[in-house]
Amino acid sequence: MTRIYTPWFLLAAALILAAIYLFPLYWMYVTSLKSSSEIFANPPTFWPRDPDPGIYAQVWHRRTMPTFLWNSLVIASGVTAVTIVLGTGCAYVLARYRNVWIDIGLFVVLMLQVLPASVMVTPLFVGFNQVGLLGYPRTAVVLAAAAKAMPFFVVLVRATFMSVPRELEEAALVDGNSRVGAFFTIVLPLARNGILVCAILTFMTAFGEYIYSKSIIQSPSLQPASVGLSGFLGPNSTDWSSIMAYSAIYVTPILAIFVLLQRRIVSGLTSGALK
Amino acid sequence: MSRLFNSLRDGIGFDIVLVGAALVFLLALAGAPLVYNVLMSFQQVDMFTLGALVRPFVGFENYVAVVQMPEFWLVTRNTLIFVFGSMAGQFILGFSLALFFAQRFPGAATIRGLFLVSWVMPGLVVGAIWSWMLAGDFGALNVILRGLGIIQSNIFWKSDPAFSIWAVIIANIWLGLAFNMLLLSVGLAAIPRDLYEAAELDGANAFQRFWTITLPMMRPTIGAVLSLGLIGTLQQFDLFPAITEGGPANTSNVAGFWSWQLSFQLYDFAKGATVSVMMFLLVLFASIIYVRSTRHEVRG
Repeated sequence: MTRIYTPWFLLAAALILAAIYLFPLYWMYVTSLKSSSEIFANPPTFWPRDPDPGIYAQVWHRRTMPTFLWNSLVIASGVTAVTIVLGTGCAYVLARYRNVWIDIGLFVVLMLQVLPASVMVTPLFVGFNQVGLLGYPRTAVVLAAAAKAMPFFVVLVRATFMSVPRELEEAALVDGNSRVGAFFTIVLPLARNGILVCAILTFMTAFGEYIYSKSIIQSPSLQPASVGLSGFLGPNSTDWSSIMAYSAIYVTPILAIFVLLQRRIVSGLTSGALK
Repeated sequence: MSRLFNSLRDGIGFDIVLVGAALVFLLALAGAPLVYNVLMSFQQVDMFTLGALVRPFVGFENYVAVVQMPEFWLVTRNTLIFVFGSMAGQFILGFSLALFFAQRFPGAATIRGLFLVSWVMPGLVVGAIWSWMLAGDFGALNVILRGLGIIQSNIFWKSDPAFSIWAVIIANIWLGLAFNMLLLSVGLAAIPRDLYEAAELDGANAFQRFWTITLPMMRPTIGAVLSLGLIGTLQQFDLFPAITEGGPANTSNVAGFWSWQLSFQLYDFAKGATVSVMMFLLVLFASIIYVRSTRHEVRG
C-alpha cells in the first residue's frame, strides 16, 4: 500500500470528526450563555455575542436545582451501593468456577440485562403499590434501578475477576486462609481498580435515571434532576437558554469525571462488554 | 451447626451465599415483576383493583382490545422504523468510525475515547439538546443543512408527522453510535495484522481485503453488536419524553413509550402490561441471538 496519507493528516481528520460529533455538547454550553433574543436570531450565532453566565445562578434557584441534584445523588449512591454489595460477590463466583450451574447463572444474568425499563415499570409500580413501598419512593427507585444496573455490573466485574490469577488465591488458601479471608485480603484488593471503574459507570448511569423516578416518585421534593428537567421540557418548549443551562449544570460533573477517567472507563468497558 | 458455619466461612456455602444473595435480589425485582406482568395482561386492572391481590381474569380481552386500538398498527410500524433505522445508522456510522480509528496515528485511542461521552450522559439531557438542535425555526440542524444546500426550506422535525420519528432516530443514532464503534474497534484490533500483510503481498486491494478478511473475521463481533444494538434500541425511552412525547398524533410513538403512557398517563395498567408483554417477546427474540453470539466469548 502506498502511504499517501501521513499520520498527521489522519489526526486532523480525527479531530474534525470528533468536533462534529461533540457539536451538540458545544451547542448546549453556547446556547446557555446566549440572551433570549440572540437564541432566536436568524441565522444563529455560533459564538455568543454577549456571554451571560448569570443564567446559571438564576436557573439554579428558580428550578430548585439543589433539591433535585441532592435527590439524584441519593438515588445514584443507593443504586451503586446495592449493586456493589450484591454484584461483586456474584461476579466473583461466576468467574471462579466453570460448570453447568455457572452457565445457568450467567444465562439468567444475561437475560435480565436485556429487560427494558419500560417493560418493567408497570409491574414494578403495581407490585410496589401492593407491598407499600410507594410510601418510600426513593427507596423503591433505588431497588428498581439497582436491579436494572446489576446484571451489567456483574458481567463487567466478572471479566475483572477472570484476570486475577487463580494461583494467588490458592496460595493464600494453602497458607491457612479461609475462603472468606482469601476473598477479602487477596482477591478483592487485586480486583479493586476494575470494580471501582464499574462502580463509577453504575453511578453515572443511575445519576441520569429517569423512567422509574418519573413513574414512582410523585412529590417534587423527592424527585431527581432528570425529572426536574422534564418538568419544563416538551415538544413545545421555548425557554431554551434555561433548559440548556439546567442541562449544563446537570451534566458537567459527569463530563468532568468521564474526561478524568476516560482511559480506565474505556478499557474497563472493552475488557468486559464483549471480550 | 458448626459444619454449616464452616461451610459458609470456608467452603461451597460461601459461594452459594454470594451468588444467592444477588440472584434472589434479581429474581425478586426483575424476574417476579416479569411474571407478574404476564399475569396482569390477563386481568382486569384499573384504579379500583390496583391494590387488590385477587383480580378478575379476562382471558385475552386485553390483547384484543390493544390490537383493536386505532394507534396499534401505527405504533408497531413506528417501532420497526425506529429499531431498524437506529440500528442501521448506529452500525454503519459506528463501523466506519471504527475502521477509521483502526489506522495508526497519534492520539487515535484518546480521540476515539472522547466519542464515548454520549454514553455516560443522562438520556434526558441528550434528548433536551437534540430537541433544541432539531427545533424547526431556530434549530441548528436546519441551519447547517440549509447552509450545505441539502434542504431548501426548514424541516419541522418534531411537529411534521412525516419526520417526527426520524427526529428521535437521529438523536438515538448519536447516542448509540459510540458504543457500537467501541465494540467494533475491539473486534478489529483482534484481527491478526499478518493476514492483511499476506493479502497485500498477493495483490489484494483495500476493498478486497475488507471483503475477504475484515468482514469474515468480524462475524461474531458484528452479530453481538447488532443484537446489542437491537436490545439497546428497544430499551431506549428517555429520548421520547424529551423530544416528541410520541406526537404529533402518535406518529413518533413506539411500543415502550406507548406502554408507559397507557399505564402512567391513562392509568390503564392492564393495557400497559399487555403492550409491554408484546414488547418483551421482541426483546426475548433479540436476547436469544445475543446470547447465542456471545456465549463462548462471555464464558471466556
